[in-house]
Amino acid sequence: MSERTYDVVVIGAGNGGLAAAATTAQKGMKTLLIEQHTLPGGYASSFVRGRFEFEPSLHELCDVGKEGEWGACGTFFKDLGLDIEWVPVPEAYRMVITDKNEKFDVTMPFGLKEYIDKMEEYVPNSRESVTNFFDLCQEVLDAIGYLGASKGNPDKKVLTSKYSNFLKTASYSVDQVEKALKIPKKARDILNAYWCYLGTDTGKLGFTIYGAMMIKFLLLGAYIPKMRSHEISLAFEKAIRDFGGDVIYGTKVEKILVENGSVVGIKTDKGEKINTKHVICNAPRHVAFGSMVEGADEIKEKANREFNARKVGGKGYVAYFGLNKTAKELGLTDYSYFIYPTVDNKKLYSSMFERGKNPMQAIVCLNNAIPDCSPPGTSMLTVTTLYKDGAWDDVNETNYVQAKNDIAKDIVKNIESALNIKISDAIEEFSVASPETFARYACAYDGSIYGYESETWDSLLPRLLMMKDDLYINGLRFAGGFAFRCHGYSSGYMSGNTIGLLTYKDSLEDK
Amino acid sequence: MDKKLNVKIKPIGLLDLLAFKKLVPNRKKKFEEAPATEIKKTPPMNELAAKLHPKHQKFMITKVTDLTDSMRQFELSSDSAAYFRAGQYISVKLDIDGHKVTRPYSIMSSPKEALAGKYMLGIKKADDGFVTEYIFNNWKEGTAIETSGPEGNFYYEDIRDAKTVIGIAGGCGITPFFSMAQAIRDGIEDFNLCLLYGCKTLDESALKKELDEIAKTDSRVKVVCVLSNEEKEGYEHGFITADIIKEYAGTEPYSIFMCGPQVMYDFVGKEINKLGLEKKFVRRELYGQINNVEKHEGFPKDQVGKKYKLTIHIGLKTITTEALSTESVLVAVERAKVIAPSLCRTGECGCCRSRLISGDVFIVEDTDGRRMADKKFGYIHICSSFPLSDLEIEIPVV
Repeated sequence: MSERTYDVVVIGAGNGGLAAAATTAQKGMKTLLIEQHTLPGGYASSFVRGRFEFEPSLHELCDVGKEGEWGACGTFFKDLGLDIEWVPVPEAYRMVITDKNEKFDVTMPFGLKEYIDKMEEYVPNSRESVTNFFDLCQEVLDAIGYLGASKGNPDKKVLTSKYSNFLKTASYSVDQVEKALKIPKKARDILNAYWCYLGTDTGKLGFTIYGAMMIKFLLLGAYIPKMRSHEISLAFEKAIRDFGGDVIYGTKVEKILVENGSVVGIKTDKGEKINTKHVICNAPRHVAFGSMVEGADEIKEKANREFNARKVGGKGYVAYFGLNKTAKELGLTDYSYFIYPTVDNKKLYSSMFERGKNPMQAIVCLNNAIPDCSPPGTSMLTVTTLYKDGAWDDVNETNYVQAKNDIAKDIVKNIESALNIKISDAIEEFSVASPETFARYACAYDGSIYGYESETWDSLLPRLLMMKDDLYINGLRFAGGFAFRCHGYSSGYMSGNTIGLLTYKDSLEDK
Repeated sequence: MDKKLNVKIKPIGLLDLLAFKKLVPNRKKKFEEAPATEIKKTPPMNELAAKLHPKHQKFMITKVTDLTDSMRQFELSSDSAAYFRAGQYISVKLDIDGHKVTRPYSIMSSPKEALAGKYMLGIKKADDGFVTEYIFNNWKEGTAIETSGPEGNFYYEDIRDAKTVIGIAGGCGITPFFSMAQAIRDGIEDFNLCLLYGCKTLDESALKKELDEIAKTDSRVKVVCVLSNEEKEGYEHGFITADIIKEYAGTEPYSIFMCGPQVMYDFVGKEINKLGLEKKFVRRELYGQINNVEKHEGFPKDQVGKKYKLTIHIGLKTITTEALSTESVLVAVERAKVIAPSLCRTGECGCCRSRLISGDVFIVEDTDGRRMADKKFGYIHICSSFPLSDLEIEIPVV
């Protein structure tokens, strides 16, 4: 077989891979994107059951923005000319706490002022400390922008003069910072609602990443694509092709070939060898180092240690309900709900280690953003929860269906009681994406839908500062949820963009 | 921005700056101090996924039994057969004179038998089916075959369905219900299954005896034969009508599951409409590929009998072939001896999803299982798309 040569090969067409391939192709690099599945996007996809087309994973995309005030993602998409119809998400979130003693039910709006006003309404005398919190978040956001632009080589003087508060808070957790700012307890509980999007309790979660996410949500609002996230993935794919890149599906990269510490090519499961000096890997670092890299045994031990120091993020569990009544008829008034048994997210985090505990629920009723996303007279409800480590290890072929359905039944009961509604008799279509499902379609490592946990010591900032140290092999860079930007949709896309640009820069030094 | 804010995390602010400087050394230390134990290549969830959803399965045919004059039962054996949900199918891969084709067949055995490495298939010989003819002539004890993993969504789901299922079966459509009945008997499923089994004559009612045996020992299973071409005492006569369904359904809520040939769907579908059931209580299995597309409403009359040029891109290769307007693009690809991915062959599963680079196709509305964005960006399911012009497509590598 004749050997093909590319300037860059991107392994995996998840969000990070798509964004990276689009970036390198736009820069004029001869780009090949290889995906093991027959669809692009990884979790950014869609699936049809009966008369419903479900969104598998995206709750809301932050950092999109709109004409005149594009966020980072929005600017990136626009620059690539992606054809995506964006629909705004109406409110930030509704948070319902079901514990008898802690019970509350709040709905928070987008917009910084609106959010702070609403918080003052729910928690009198919270205004000053919450305003301080968001000022700090803004500084964090600016500082991260600066660090990103400096590509891991920041000028210390600029940092200490312009971003001193950022520096002070960078090594602390969300809880530490909120407490230092003397934010009232209830306001902190409400502020921490999004913690499950990052999957680490706020006692351990790095403040920078949470703060940056919060402020982006509130300043720019959130958006979802009209045709599920599959629309984003296909728009990326089209851009890659339009820029002259090649995309192949149904092909798995088995080996990343390394000689003398530098990438020389890849080998596919079809036995084809493709020459390249640059690989952008959308698969996790430990998967690449653990089973794909060939010819660099010297890095194995280092890679093992790195992996063992980290924690793999939460395993995904999503129940999808196609309902034969409208959202209004069912009493589903909001787009995004967080239903938590308690405000104590440390307790919630530890409950993720046991299946059947049903730790928390992040719920989306898509019809409240896109009324016609399902046929007239119907609606769709998607419920996400997370598990950790061994919570599913006892699940085998024969108890699998019961394991996943028991959780779904529990979820239905919880929603009905928390929101005082009835949905159980309206279920026309039902499906579950369990950790096994994510492993099946997207090769998710042990069913994890997130990257390595962004604990304070391994959060965005230390990763950014160590981008050079994390380069174990010349020409091998990583994009996606396990990469330097940590996980989440927007981080996935933006990591792909940054890594694409860095790879382009690397390639200029090839000759 | 207001810069007056001065955050104090700990009493001594200087320590914070120090902590920042320590971010990098701390992370390095964390890495260095962690154990160097090997990274697990296939963790539990990926292992489970491989077991439940193998891409390919290899079997040996270990037993062939005639069920009726035109229906045959094949026992498939292997070291391991993926566990499945009663009602699911496997797609059988065949090589007929170099043509790589697939056919979906419901698994008729109990999921329990899969644990012992066995599946049973019940295949009916179609009048003009070159694939079933091939199978009947060639599948013998000792024949090696390859299949997909278990697929499809035609199974009982207690969170969604009524506790009683009226199963309407015709012809070899009895096979998924036979699996469900055994699953109930074996304690794998728990619902009431009342089968209305439409046959021409009693002789053609494959598996009737076996089903009666299950019904005898398990009160949740019930079997009623509805004979269209013969009147026999103790059997319903005629077609499966709304009245018959009502008679056997009783007063409790019920779901209808239907599996059989297209003609049965056309007739019984109208009868079911008379019952005024909510859509969620009526489910039907896919009926396999469309054979008479020209009879479908909306198929342009002047297109009958047209031949078009079909350009197929697959991996590095480009192949040019001919395609008939009345045969699906998938069939044209298979005729050209190109391996195309396919499972359900009814437009639903999306396995054959391909990029339409240029040209027009006809898609029967019922079988257009595409995602919205696929329509927007020019993707088709080639198993349910029929050429209306010269076509250029890119199909995924299998």
